Amino acid sequence: MLNWTYRELLAAPQQLLASVAAVAGAFALVLFFAGVFTGESRQIVALIDKTDADVWVMQKGVGNMHMTTSFLSDWKIDAVAAVDGVAKVTPILYLNSVIQAGGRSWFSYVVGIEQGDGRAGPWKSAAGARLPGPGQAIVPDIFASDAGLKIGDKVRIAGRDFTVAGFSADTFSMANSVSFVTLSDLADTMSSVGAVSYLLVDARPGVDPAVLAERIRTQVEKVNALTRQDFSRRDFSIAVQMGLEIIWMMTIIGGALAVLLTGFIIYSHISDRERELAVIKALGVRDRVIWAAILVQALVIGLLAYGLAVGLIYLAIPLTEALVPKVSLGMSGDSLIRTGGLAVVVSLIAAAIPVRRVLAVDPVTAFQQ
Amino acid sequence: MFSLTLGNAVHKPARTALTILAIAAILAEILVLEGFLTGSYTQLRQAVLQRGGDVIVSQKGVTNFLAARSILPQRTRRDVESRPGVASAHPLTSISAIYEADGRLTPIIVLVYDDKGGPSRLIAGRAPRKSREIVIDRSLAERYGLSVGDTLTLSAYDFTVSGIADGAAALFTPFAFLTYDGLIDFYFESDVAADIAAFPLLSFLMVDVKKGFSPVAVAADISANVPEASAILPAQLAANDENLGRELLGPIMNLLLGLSYGIGALAIGLFSYAAVRTRRKSLGVLRALGFDTRHLVIGVMTEALGTVVLAIPLGIAIGAGLGSLIESLAPVYMLQTLDPTALWRTALIALVLAVLGALAPLGSLMRLDPATAFRG
Repeated sequence: MLNWTYRELLAAPQQLLASVAAVAGAFALVLFFAGVFTGESRQIVALIDKTDADVWVMQKGVGNMHMTTSFLSDWKIDAVAAVDGVAKVTPILYLNSVIQAGGRSWFSYVVGIEQGDGRAGPWKSAAGARLPGPGQAIVPDIFASDAGLKIGDKVRIAGRDFTVAGFSADTFSMANSVSFVTLSDLADTMSSVGAVSYLLVDARPGVDPAVLAERIRTQVEKVNALTRQDFSRRDFSIAVQMGLEIIWMMTIIGGALAVLLTGFIIYSHISDRERELAVIKALGVRDRVIWAAILVQALVIGLLAYGLAVGLIYLAIPLTEALVPKVSLGMSGDSLIRTGGLAVVVSLIAAAIPVRRVLAVDPVTAFQQ
Repeated sequence: MFSLTLGNAVHKPARTALTILAIAAILAEILVLEGFLTGSYTQLRQAVLQRGGDVIVSQKGVTNFLAARSILPQRTRRDVESRPGVASAHPLTSISAIYEADGRLTPIIVLVYDDKGGPSRLIAGRAPRKSREIVIDRSLAERYGLSVGDTLTLSAYDFTVSGIADGAAALFTPFAFLTYDGLIDFYFESDVAADIAAFPLLSFLMVDVKKGFSPVAVAADISANVPEASAILPAQLAANDENLGRELLGPIMNLLLGLSYGIGALAIGLFSYAAVRTRRKSLGVLRALGFDTRHLVIGVMTEALGTVVLAIPLGIAIGAGLGSLIESLAPVYMLQTLDPTALWRTALIALVLAVLGALAPLGSLMRLDPATAFRG
C-alpha cells in the first residue's frame, strides 16, 4: 500500500506540481498577512528599540508613544538628571503628524532632537547630513525616493517648510516613518516652548534599568518612567491591537481557502483513483490501511505546499524590499509554526471527506465497466 | 459541445460544486480585501464629513483632519467669526489617547466639541451634557463590555459613558466625544494637569456660511486674512485624509490583492487542468469521433467560464456574509464588500482568469491521442 501511495503521488507529476502550487498559494497568503503584520509592527517600535535608552520618561498617565501625546515641563530634565544612577538625560519633542512633499502626504513620527546631539537621532544615515540643523529635516530614504526628494528640497511638517538635509535608513514604515528636526524648530512648530515630550535616560554602569525607572517615578513629580523593554512592548501591543483583528480574520479566511483548495485537490486525486481503490478493497486491504494511504497522500501534498509557501515567502522578503520598499515584511517563528499546524490540520480535514466516500465504494465496481 | 459540457458538469455534481465553491471562496476573499480597503477610505471621509460645517478651519498649512496635529490660538474663533460671510464658527479639539483596561491597550481619538462636530449617530444613551460624560464608539464599548452608565477611566480620570455612537471610527481607531467643560476638568483633575500649558485647546473650527455666500469664497477669505489659519472645504479635507489612507494602506493591500488574484489564476488553471485530466478518456472519444482541438478547447473554455459565472454570485454572497461577520465581531472596521466598482472589477478579472486558466490544459488537449478512448 505504501508503494501504491508513493507511485500514485508521482504518477502525474505536473498535476501534483499544480496542486501543490495552488495550495501553496493559499498558505503563502496566510504567511504573507502575518509577514506584513510582523514587519510593520517591528518598524513601529524601531525608534524605541534602535535608540536603546535604558529608561524612557514621559508624562504621568502616558505609557506609549504611538497614538499618544506626552508633555513634560523642561525643568524635569534636570530633576531626572539628579536622580541617583542616571548617567545622561536626552530630551526629545515628538509629534505624530503628516509630512507633505511632492504633492503627497505620509504619516510620520517627527522627532525633535537637541541640535548636534545624535543620542536620539537617526541610527543609520543613507545620504547627506546625519543630524538636522536649524530649519532642516532628516527624512527616511524610502520616503525620499517615493516623493522624488533630493537634498535641499522642501518638505512641509505641520504647516511649516523644512529643508531636507539628509536621508536616514531603516526609519520607514507604512504606519509611522520617523523624521528628525531640531528640538527648537519642533517646539516652535508645536507652540510648546518650555516643554519636551520624552526623556531618554542612560543609566550608570551596573544600575538596573527597572530599579532606576522606579526611582524616577518616585522622586520626580508627575512622570511615568518605563524601561526600554516595557515601553517597546507596550507600543508593540498597540500596533498589535490596531492590526491584529483584521490580520486574524484574513488568516482565517486564507485558512478556509486553503481547506477548500486542498479539499478539492485531494477529492480530485481520490476520485480519479476510485476504481483502483475499489480493486484494492476487493483484494482484501483493510479500511484503516486505505485511510492511512490517503491521509499520507494528503499530508504530503499539504506539507509540500507549506514548504513551497515558506520558500515563496522567504523569496518574497528581499523581492518586496527591492520592488515595494514601502512594505516591511518580517517572519516570526510563531507564524511559521502556526501556519505549519494549519497545513497539517487542513490536509487531514480535506482528506477525510473523499476517504469516507471511497470506503463506501462497492468492490464490485472494480469489475464493472 | 455545449450540451456535452453541461453533461460533464452534471455527471460529477460533487466535483462541480466543490470547484464552484473553491472559486467562490477565492472571489469572496478578494472582495473582503477590496471591501476592507473601500470601507477604510469611506471611514476616513466620513470622519470629516460627519463633523458638519460648510468650511473647516485648521492651523496654517495643516490640510488633514486625522493624524495631523492642528493647534489654533483661542482668538482665531473671534477672528474667523468677524470675516464676511461667516455665520458662526464652532470649536473642535482632537486629542489622541490610550484607553487601558483589563490588561489591554486601545488607542482612541477624543473629539471635544461644543455644538457641532459631535457623534452623528447614537445607538444608545445621549450626547454628553455634563463635564464627566463621554460618548464612545460601539467598537470600544463592545471590546471592553461598556454600556451607558459605566465608568471609563482615562489618565486616572473617571468619565461616565452617556452614550454609544455608531460609525465613529477611522484608521482602526474608535472615537470618543466630550464637551469642553469635560476637557477642562479632565486637564485639571487628571494626571495630565502638570503640563497643561502644552496641551491643545482648539484644533479646528467648523464654520457655517451665511446664506448667499459661497463656501469657496469664504474659505479663501479666511485663509488670506486670518494669519494663523487655513480654511478648506470639508469635501477637500475628506479627500486629503482619504489620500493619506491610500498612501498608508495602498501598497500593502494592493500587494495582498495581487497575491490573491495570483492564487485565483493558479486555482482556476488547476481546476481546468484537473477537469481535462479526469476526462481524458471521454475527450479521447470526442477526438476519435472527429472533433478537432478547437472544439475541445471551446468545450473546456465554456466549462471554465460557466464555472466562474456560477461562482461569481456565490462569491459575492459569501464575501458579503464574511464582511458582515467581521463588522459584527470588530465594529471598528467597515467592510464595503458590495461596492459596485470592486464587484465589477473582481468579476471581470475572474472571467479573464477563467479564460487564461482554461488555456492551462491546452498542451494536454493538443497531444490527446484518440486511442486513449479505447485503453482501459
